[in-house]
Amino acid sequence: MDILNEILDITIRSLWVSGSATIISSLWSILLAYKLSRSPGASRYIIPFFEALIGIPTVLIGLLLYMILSSRGPLGLFRLLYTPYAIILGQAILITPLITSICYRVLSSSWNTYGELAYTLGASEKQIMAIVLRESIPGVIAASVMGFSRAIGELGIALMVGGNIRGFTRVLTTAIALEVSKGEFEIAVVLGAILIVLVVAISFSLRILRRMYRV
Amino acid sequence: MNKAIIIGVLIILVIAIGLAIHISNSKEIRVRVTTTTSLYATGLLDYLADEFRKEHPNTFFDFIPVGSGEALRRAENGDACMVFVHAPSLEKQYIEKNVITSRKIFAYNYFIIAGPIDDPAGIRDSNSVVDAFRKIYEAGEEGMAKFVSRGDNSGTHVKELSIWSLTNLDPHGRPWYLETGSGMSNTLLVANEEKAYVLSDIGTYLKLKKEGKLPDLEMLYSNDTELINIYSIYVVSSCTGAERQAAQEFAEFIINKGQELIANYGVKEYGQRLFNPAKNNIEWLEEVWEELSEK
Repeated sequence: MDILNEILDITIRSLWVSGSATIISSLWSILLAYKLSRSPGASRYIIPFFEALIGIPTVLIGLLLYMILSSRGPLGLFRLLYTPYAIILGQAILITPLITSICYRVLSSSWNTYGELAYTLGASEKQIMAIVLRESIPGVIAASVMGFSRAIGELGIALMVGGNIRGFTRVLTTAIALEVSKGEFEIAVVLGAILIVLVVAISFSLRILRRMYRV
Repeated sequence: MNKAIIIGVLIILVIAIGLAIHISNSKEIRVRVTTTTSLYATGLLDYLADEFRKEHPNTFFDFIPVGSGEALRRAENGDACMVFVHAPSLEKQYIEKNVITSRKIFAYNYFIIAGPIDDPAGIRDSNSVVDAFRKIYEAGEEGMAKFVSRGDNSGTHVKELSIWSLTNLDPHGRPWYLETGSGMSNTLLVANEEKAYVLSDIGTYLKLKKEGKLPDLEMLYSNDTELINIYSIYVVSSCTGAERQAAQEFAEFIINKGQELIANYGVKEYGQRLFNPAKNNIEWLEEVWEELSEK
């Protein structure tokens, strides 16, 4: 049952790599989105720019990051190339435009509904932020789930900066690509099915969790 | 906003600690090896590495399977310590740039031309591979045959192009000439679907044929001088220290003890050798390699 063990190992790696990327990216994206939602001047230029970047090809980010992390690149001395951390970094960058622009919409509408009201009632800046963020939780979670889905389903970054090293940086998508190139279409389809089931299961369980705590 | 700053600092701390753990963990030696996908896909490299590691348990090999072109380019950037390739003319360019040194030919096998069983171009009894390619070209122009090319600058693709250049015919842009831009297995499967001719390494062909995935393809032509496929190991010049030493030891292992392992690899499964060890024919192989690298 060697192959089952390997598939399990690859699946777990995919989950923690893309999960970490999503958490890191969500933290800075939500803060950025909140800042932007409070500064209409800057967001007029930054939001359309971010929206355009949502569909950026993953190999392009992978290639740029490869050139930066390569031993000849500016950050070469950190020896991050061909490690899971390089993939996490790349995926976190990849999904930043997506999470930021969705969170921006959510936070702006929350601010319009609750923030202004709280402001007129004399709430402090911190209190307003707390209220707006709390009211935006469903939308923010949805944005993070979309980000996670994009991160775990991307191939280009994991291939370029991870290197698809067995037992170290091989994740679901790079394993699929390798099995296809080996002509093992059946294994590739199984891996693909695992990927889809995971993403769907996570999306649903977050929805259920949210209901349990909000009713 | 104070909370935001604290959260930010915490994230950076966590990342820094993670990095520190990652770096301090590196007592073991990791050797970065770029290799052609076709070689990696046969499983030979993992097998050789496992045997080597029985004597050197602290050494790990990170095989990074990419095309021959990318494998060498990554070596040039200092992102590999060892390279396994089979594209002499490409290798020569990087030797001249002093990117890779100390070539060791460790194995060879043959390219084959596979094609539809009824062989519409009639290449079965060709005098030479150039003759076979000419026949395919003519049949293609008459709409009776197709040819599927890798089109990805891999060792096999470079070989195919060098044969076309010997025929003085240029198939590029012809409607019967399909470039898949993908790996050997995928290209063979396309050839099977399209009932087309294809140049393949024998290992990948045998593996897929054995698995029953190529019912409409047959090995139609091979030749033990023109269609030889030579696999070499290089150590990358920019690689230093313990990693370089481990790479050199692994290379020595492959050209000595490893030769018998290579000779027996896959025989049980496919009833035929996938690779021939280079050891007993090394002078002849060096000569052929020089010849191929000029093309």
